[in-house]
Amino acid sequence: MADGREARDGGTLTVALASDPDKLDPSLAQTLVGRTVFASMCEKLYDSDEDGQLVPQLATELPEISDDGRTVTFDVREDATFSDGTKLDADAVVTSLKRHRDIAGSARATELGPVEGVEATGPYSVRITLKQPYTPLPTVLADRAGMVLSPKAIEKYGKNFTNHPSCVGPFKYKERVGGDRIVLVKDDKYYDADAVHLDQVIYRPIPDGNVRLANLRSGDVQIGDQMTPVEVTSVLTDPKLKLFNSPSMGYQGIGINVGNTKGLGEQPGRIDTPLGRDVRVREAFEKSLDRKLINKIVFQGMYEPACGPVSPKSAIAPGVRASECPERDVEGAKKLLKEAGVKTPVRFEYTVNNTPEDIRLGQVVQSMAKDAGFQVSLRPMEYASMLEETDSGRYDAFRSGWSGRLDPDGNIASFLTTRGAMNAYGLGDEKIDELIARGRTEGDQGERAKIYRELTEKVNAEHTLIYLYRQKNYVVAGKDIAGLRVYGDGLVRVKSAGYAR
Amino acid sequence: MNHYLLKRLRQSLITLFLVSVVVFAGVRAIPGDPALALAGEERSPEALAAIREQYGLNDSIFEQYWRFVSHAVTGDLGVSARTGLPVDDAIVGALPVTVELALLSLLFAVVVGIGAGVIAAVRRGRPSEWLANGLALLGLSVPNFWLGIVLVLSLAIAVPVFAASGYVPFGVDPVDNLRRMVLPAIVLGSGLAAVVMRQTRAAMLDSLSADYVRTARAKGLSRRQVIGSHALRNSLVTVVTILGLQLGQLISGAVVTEQIFVLPGFGKLTIDAVFTRDYAMLQGVVLCTSAAYILINLLVDVAYSVIDPRIRLGGAPR
Repeated sequence: MADGREARDGGTLTVALASDPDKLDPSLAQTLVGRTVFASMCEKLYDSDEDGQLVPQLATELPEISDDGRTVTFDVREDATFSDGTKLDADAVVTSLKRHRDIAGSARATELGPVEGVEATGPYSVRITLKQPYTPLPTVLADRAGMVLSPKAIEKYGKNFTNHPSCVGPFKYKERVGGDRIVLVKDDKYYDADAVHLDQVIYRPIPDGNVRLANLRSGDVQIGDQMTPVEVTSVLTDPKLKLFNSPSMGYQGIGINVGNTKGLGEQPGRIDTPLGRDVRVREAFEKSLDRKLINKIVFQGMYEPACGPVSPKSAIAPGVRASECPERDVEGAKKLLKEAGVKTPVRFEYTVNNTPEDIRLGQVVQSMAKDAGFQVSLRPMEYASMLEETDSGRYDAFRSGWSGRLDPDGNIASFLTTRGAMNAYGLGDEKIDELIARGRTEGDQGERAKIYRELTEKVNAEHTLIYLYRQKNYVVAGKDIAGLRVYGDGLVRVKSAGYAR
Repeated sequence: MNHYLLKRLRQSLITLFLVSVVVFAGVRAIPGDPALALAGEERSPEALAAIREQYGLNDSIFEQYWRFVSHAVTGDLGVSARTGLPVDDAIVGALPVTVELALLSLLFAVVVGIGAGVIAAVRRGRPSEWLANGLALLGLSVPNFWLGIVLVLSLAIAVPVFAASGYVPFGVDPVDNLRRMVLPAIVLGSGLAAVVMRQTRAAMLDSLSADYVRTARAKGLSRRQVIGSHALRNSLVTVVTILGLQLGQLISGAVVTEQIFVLPGFGKLTIDAVFTRDYAMLQGVVLCTSAAYILINLLVDVAYSVIDPRIRLGGAPR
């Protein structure tokens, strides 16, 4: 969603973020809020447009991929300059990509794992060689792995780059006060500086949604990121505020422990509970849930029901539409429990994050499942503790979600591959593994879409990760803010934003 | 005197050492792996292993403690695992915010609390006493977060006199600083103001019925002189004692207030560090706070010993 109005030059824009970003180093950064700050100061080789299509940003065209899928080549802009005055060239791209992949503590190592080598084949030409075909690479380069860092800054500051970040972008880093603000100022050396209207952008972490909203209303901040449905509902009646939304590429659901006995990355074992060992019990649980009603009660109908890992809005391989999701079937659920021969009520613990929204979701799930013969007890936990419990397999079911990636592989491979990096469910299925491998190496888009359809059916038949809903990215801005863009990747783009003329 | 000073200094250092052990152990007793909290959504085993290696989380607990203490004594509290910013800088930046907030809240509590207490005592049984009592009850009962939101909605949004959040140093722009600090100071000081009001009222009622007040009246002193110079002056002894005792609560209450008004003070720093399991930041903040308490206690004890030599001679009067 984009605001087409022209903005006047000058002014400072304050953006309220839902949390304090982590390190301002694209090789090490992990958070979504960090990506929003990077969107203003660190351009990538590729970007996604309003429709989720890949478009060149620092690269001059979409990448050329060799017939065997193992060589990727592209050129980069000749007119781009880093904020420290260094010129962008192919060598800078090579240095950045190697750093992203190899630096100790890299958060990009997994997604750049298939990259075997990177070399400059000309002053502005880059060639990437892969260990095996890796179709998601271009979309990986449309995120932090594709951000190009100033080689001079890397050399000068090393790991302390985070306190002196220098990239190509409409704004450049000025200062950061931890927990309080990150200040960026317009970079006059930026190749498209004429399109930038604001003098300064300030990012302020304001974790409480109500406080974010109060600050929007008072005019102390002009943009509020990651607003929840409850807050959004009250914005709709405020004449001074405007709502932006875009569909999320991620998903939210319930993960069930079917084999996580030794922790992440380990061979799945046997979970001897009715829910863990019997697919019919899990199917019965899923049948007891009403996705539409959950969306209506918990999220004021402002999200979308979901029943697959890939968003139907994906430009690469559209996933299952909300209208295709199965309806609630309590009688069918009871029948399945009878067939399974389990003693009812089937008792299990549902671990949720201790936020009001998650607890509300838990209570609705608890109530719906009870009708079919389940006795769900809620186990609210603080986020970091919940991750520790679920990753190590100390749970029956938990609130599982993912913010989403442009390529379907980013929503699937780590979670559903046997011993996958984030397969906390202990799922181990050869057919699923084979489909995931085919999906990441298949070059033909039509074929890929078919593969992910089949994969979704197979995953849904396991009822291990029950997809429930897809969030929307809600961003609230003052009516006087023009030129703002919010796309499916959830980032607030302020390059062309400013105060309306 | 020197002997006493050395003895108290030695005791303070031992306390500081014990505090460092408790802080170090306490931070690690919080459930939740810091590597997981840092990696968040993208927690691949490789990323987790790299984070643990980078922050020495794989080292033995003794090695980690030694590293923490040996750096801390040189004034290096490390860098935040989450943001990569130096912990020392974060503390130096946050300290003035919390100190200013505490002082302004104290000022608010003293002015409003003593004023309302005097009125309630002097105008006993009249509507102004009921009003003061009602306000005190409200100040004690209303939770900070609720009062904060109400004040923001009314005085920052409906009638935009004050700012809803943020901090500007007093030295940079005094007017903007006060525009941002008045509401948090009211929120934080409201509870204390209520306590002060009740104490002042009770002490004033005692004083007003005392013989020396009757004598003062009989001498023909004006009402203002009787209340201000005699009754209130004597009542303040109790009030000042209460203020001293409540000061600690003011600092701990700043945690909530700083969250509501997004003030980058000690409270917000602590809460953010807890949620992100930022060991270095949390250790630094708690250690500095404890060190400040120990230092203040030391100074107070030394001051006592100067005032009353019997203390440094070690015991009861002979």
